[in-house]
Amino acid sequence: MAEAKERRILYENLDVPGIHTLDVYRKHGGYASLEKVFAIPPDDHITLVKDSGLRGRGGAGFSTGMKWTLMNRQIEPRYLCCNADESEPGTFSNRYILQNKPHMLIEGIIACCWALGIHTAYVYCRGEFTLAKKRLDAAILEAYAAGILGESVAGSGFALDVYTHSGAGAYICGEETGLIESLEGKRGQPRNKPPFPAVQGLFMKPTCVQNVETLSNLPFIVNNGLDWYKGMGSVYTDVPRTAGDPVNTGTKLYCVSGHVEKPGVYEVELGITAQDLIDMASGVRGGNRVKAVIPGGSSAPVLTPYELDCPLDFTSLGLAKSMLGSGGIIVMDETVCTVSALLNLMEFYAHESCGQCTPCRSGTPWVRDITKRIEAGHAKPGDIEQLIDVANQIANVDTFTWNTICVFGIAVSWPAVSFARKFRPEFEAHILNGECTVLPLEEAITPPEQNYAYPRPQVTVVQQPKWH
Amino acid sequence: MPFEFTPERRAHLDDLLTHYPTKRAATLPALHLAQAQNGYISQDVMEHVAELLDLSPAQVQDVVTFYPMFFQEPVGKHIIRVCKTLPCMLCDCKKVLDHLRESLEVEVEGTTADGNFTLLEVECLAACDQAPVMMVDEDLYGNLTPEKIDEILGGITGKAAPAKAERRHGRG
Repeated sequence: MAEAKERRILYENLDVPGIHTLDVYRKHGGYASLEKVFAIPPDDHITLVKDSGLRGRGGAGFSTGMKWTLMNRQIEPRYLCCNADESEPGTFSNRYILQNKPHMLIEGIIACCWALGIHTAYVYCRGEFTLAKKRLDAAILEAYAAGILGESVAGSGFALDVYTHSGAGAYICGEETGLIESLEGKRGQPRNKPPFPAVQGLFMKPTCVQNVETLSNLPFIVNNGLDWYKGMGSVYTDVPRTAGDPVNTGTKLYCVSGHVEKPGVYEVELGITAQDLIDMASGVRGGNRVKAVIPGGSSAPVLTPYELDCPLDFTSLGLAKSMLGSGGIIVMDETVCTVSALLNLMEFYAHESCGQCTPCRSGTPWVRDITKRIEAGHAKPGDIEQLIDVANQIANVDTFTWNTICVFGIAVSWPAVSFARKFRPEFEAHILNGECTVLPLEEAITPPEQNYAYPRPQVTVVQQPKWH
Repeated sequence: MPFEFTPERRAHLDDLLTHYPTKRAATLPALHLAQAQNGYISQDVMEHVAELLDLSPAQVQDVVTFYPMFFQEPVGKHIIRVCKTLPCMLCDCKKVLDHLRESLEVEVEGTTADGNFTLLEVECLAACDQAPVMMVDEDLYGNLTPEKIDEILGGITGKAAPAKAERRHGRG
């Protein structure tokens, strides 16, 4: 296969000085979609986005167009919440969109609001994103002054107000209903679904919640059309429907961090393999070998070196019993103690559990404590089983069912169970030796034939990713 | 003296209230404004915010205790937040924290004797490409080394010129 190359669309011109200002953004083709978008009737616009195969980039990968069709468009007012609460460890691509191309996000918000007949949009920006929020606020003011927002967007007669709203450091506010609660001025504790936000969301009105990256794709779909967008990515034919929508169109912002020579955001067509992405980031630091890769932000099940040929898209990662999630790729080299890595993640989740549901509130610190015990060498045989058991009682990774209101539960169980199963020899060595023991690479990993995620079903790619 | 917003901040809050159909929705923005003025969210602050937004003080306290960015005790003049989540751990953020603890002679969650700095360990700051990272007040600094940290803190306390972090956008 030819060497994988970047395909910059959202990140095009990201480094042009001053691109965060209206003038420079326009000089580089910004707001071109405004001339086209209002000519597309809302129903056709929803169909366009549905047909494009665009899937939500925030984590769940749900079809965006499908989400829009579920929206109750009879009730006024309706709201858009743009999710800019980027808190998933390993994920940082939205920060650069907000800091450098805030106008691209506004352009996307306009496209979404026109399709759904929404006149008020809130951008829920995480509290720590100070520069990003300043730039976005300035961009919104510029857009109002230029008639791009306000009573008649670009002279179309369509009214739209966009406001920013700062969070205050809680990870759970990135969950769509947690975000809604937080925006309403409450603790960011997720709501029971149904009713879904599309029916009853912000201020009990129909609400669409979309991630920054998802919205940023819209202007390009409007501008360049369906065929252009569907020409990027990978499409599978022989995937059972239960594995999800076998459509993986467009590009993805992959955030590569950890032990690579050049960490950063790489925009590539969906379907690139983990190995190719590591190669793009100039390989593992110091010529070391890869020990573990978390493919989709910290909540995705970990991959071993045996799984690096897996295409990083929604379908293939789903079949590998992992997920693309937010596209945060954390690479760990052979010097890493996988038990310590899991402990770090479990401390994160124990800190961030909102405390609403007992299995999560009690179970997450419990999983953390068992991991801590194993890491310090104080554990006894059977603790690995207990770790997997407690995690599975928060959310069962094998049956994909959870005993909590939101999917935070599964975000805890996935890394916990996958680390304990896939790096079991290293966990056992900790217990056996009574101290932190980093095993040589080959010995640390459960052999693939004993790995619960194997064998991975093979799928046929109809549209082989083209690396332009 | 009980807490009250300065006229400018009060005007800012009044403007924010026009953004939402309910007053309660302005709770987080109001608390951010209050913390910027008062340094932390005291009982007085909660009561004042509650009164302005037609809430009970308990409803405001409910929110304050949920969000880590709101301080319930007085803090130093500058807040140092060191990220400790996985990508930063892999890039040795422990060294950053140890250096700060030693050079400032302060423990995590403590404030320096001169009241200048409060040191905090926080979960992901979403700048994993620049790991290890820290935030000092509103500014983010990445690819930290002990020398770089000394330079940054020196700049803040006025001993040397401030050195901003290089901001890398997808390595560009």
